[in-house]
Order: sequence, then structure tokens, then C-alpha cells
Amino acid sequence: MIEESDELIVRAARALSGMPPTKAGAVARVLMAVRANQARPLPFWKRAMRRFDETSVSAKAAGLLMAASLVIGFFARGTVGNARDSFAGGSELSGTALQSIANMPAESRPVPVAVAVELANAKTVAVVGDFNGWDPSVTPMQRVGKDGPWSATVLAKPGRHTYAFMVDGATLVADPRAPRAKSSDFDGDASVMMVRTP
Amino acid sequence: MFPTLAVLRTSVTDFDPTLPGRAKHGDEQAFIKIVEFYYPRCLRFARNMLGSEQDAEEAVQDTFVRVHDSFPRFREDARFDPWLFRILANRCRTLMARNRRHRSVIEYGDVPQTATAEHEIGADWAEEVRVVLDTLPAEQREAFLLRHVEDLSYEDISAMTGAGLSALRMRVKRACDALRARLTDGSKDDRRIG
Repeated sequence: MIEESDELIVRAARALSGMPPTKAGAVARVLMAVRANQARPLPFWKRAMRRFDETSVSAKAAGLLMAASLVIGFFARGTVGNARDSFAGGSELSGTALQSIANMPAESRPVPVAVAVELANAKTVAVVGDFNGWDPSVTPMQRVGKDGPWSATVLAKPGRHTYAFMVDGATLVADPRAPRAKSSDFDGDASVMMVRTP
Repeated sequence: MFPTLAVLRTSVTDFDPTLPGRAKHGDEQAFIKIVEFYYPRCLRFARNMLGSEQDAEEAVQDTFVRVHDSFPRFREDARFDPWLFRILANRCRTLMARNRRHRSVIEYGDVPQTATAEHEIGADWAEEVRVVLDTLPAEQREAFLLRHVEDLSYEDISAMTGAGLSALRMRVKRACDALRARLTDGSKDDRRIG
């Protein structure tokens, strides 16, 4: 066991422990932002996540099994090299949460897009992009097998999207299989995917 | 005997543990109390992580928006602190990733050896610690702050970050080693630590 505490570290920690002054109105601004967010219509995938969360455990298990079967089916087709191809079979994703996809105009309907990357030494990988607010907590990737590629499915509207992979929560890596382009959200070398209208 | 880190702990005795559960079920007053209670602590962590007051305020605001959004997924039998700080740490990582200024310090690798800059000389101790802290890789900085400033247990940090206990202990140790080396090296002048 490593014990790292000593006088200098305690002094350093104490120096960082002072509570910064809360600016006047800061809490009110937070609450206003929360209310503004509530008033804004949530994107489809967030509503789906909420509904998913409110479903029973057995329904969640069924959903997870279905998602797992999609991932397995994806790799069984041997299409790792075309990992950004969109799923054509959206109807396979049954459930109340996904029903609203079918009700949306095709040109704005989010499309499940499978993404995969080989990062042998990574401990965690998340796909981040303009479709999920560049938030690494939204779409963590799962490893296929012990040493296989990392994969995930994102929901993205038809059109051009920029994305990258967040490795071990600290390093952004572009997709080696995808073209690259500058992005205002990224440091000049984001990957690009084109999502077709289903 | 070195002074205990307990002196640094934030008092949580006045935090009503029923607040998260009430907020989850739509009690807006409970949510407001949570924001009022945790805002300073979240701002402290974000400022130490990001090194920028403005970025820290943005991260904290985003965090509470997401907390409010995510309360339906909060398990009432879980502890609130690790859940909140998990969201906050993720927001800080996202901001660092998007912020070009911090690009160089989120990469893995050895800690730069030239941390002492002229502008540090004469700066107060807290600012000096921050300058050194900002040179650490993000994962070490995060682990150090969560363990030694926010006083979370390794088990909680592990649950938050997904990193193993051994890896976290190593990150904290490396952070401490680096801080010790830089601050000792740069503080032959006794007023910094005395």
C-alpha cells in the first residue's frame, strides 16, 4: 500500500482546499440554466434514455440483450472496417422509446451508427462528437472480447459529423480509418463521418 | 506525526442526506439546497482542475444542469458525493478536451521538468501549488484533488472514474512525488512552506 501523505502534501492540499468565493448571483444563474434546460425540448436520445431508465429491470435486460445482439450481428457481418456504416435495420430496435424515430421526417431522423476502433492498450474508450456534445460520459465504448476492438453505437442525424475517441479519460485520438477535418470543437484533427438518410 | 488530512475535510454534518432523494422526486427546494451547499465545493474542484475561474464556473453550471437531468437515474441508496463528482469530473474532462490551452497537459507522459517559472517567485503558496498542479497530467491532478482535497475514498474514486484501486494509488503517489519534488526544489525559500 502506498501512503503518500506528509507535511508538504498536507500543506499543498490545504492551500488548494480554500473555498473560492461564490459570486453574487452564481447559484441563481445555475438555477436559471437548469430551468432553461428544462424548457428546451430534449433531443430524442435523451428522452429515450430517460424512458429507458424508467423501465423495469426485465425490460432493461431485454433492451440490453437486443443491443448486444446488434453489436454481435454487426461484427459477425465482418464489417469492422466499415464501422461507420449506419444500421439499415432501425425497425429491429423495437420499444416505445424508439417508436418516435419512425414518426420523424426521414431527413431529421437520428440513425444508429456503429463505431469501432482498435486501441490495444486503452483501459477505457468513449466516442465523443458533435452528436453527443463531446461528452465522454455519454457514449462509453465496450471492448469486444478480451483484446478486440472497442465498439459503440451512437445516434446521429443524417449529415456530416465530427468525432474522436477519448482514451482513458484524458487523451483524444482521431479515428485512423476516417477522413479528418478541422472542427471548432476539436483541435484541428477531428474525424468525419457522413450519416446517410435511412 | 504529520498533521492529519482530516483537518482539510469539508464538513458535511449540516447536509441533509434526504435532499438528493427528495430532489430526485421533483422537490425543487431540495435541489436548490443541494446547489447552494455544493456549489462552492464543486467550484473549488473545477478551478483546481481547469486552472481558470471562467471555465470552472461553466463546468459547475453544466454539472448541475446534468445533475438535474439525471436525477431520475440516481439511486437513492447510493452516496451523493461520488455521483456528483463523477459528473463534475466528466464535465471538466470535456472542457479540457475542448480547450486548446489545456491540450498539452492532458497528454500522458512524463511530467515536465521545468515547472518553476519566473512569475512564481514571490507568488503566494496557494498560487505556487496551483502552478505546479497544473503541470501534472490530468489523471494525476484529478486523482490527487479527489483524494486529498475533496477527501473521497479510493473506493469512491474508483467507482467514479472506473480506474482500479492500484492505478489510483499510483496516480496519487506520482502526483505527490511531483508536487514534493517541485515544491521542495522551488522552495528553498522558507516562506513558502513555513
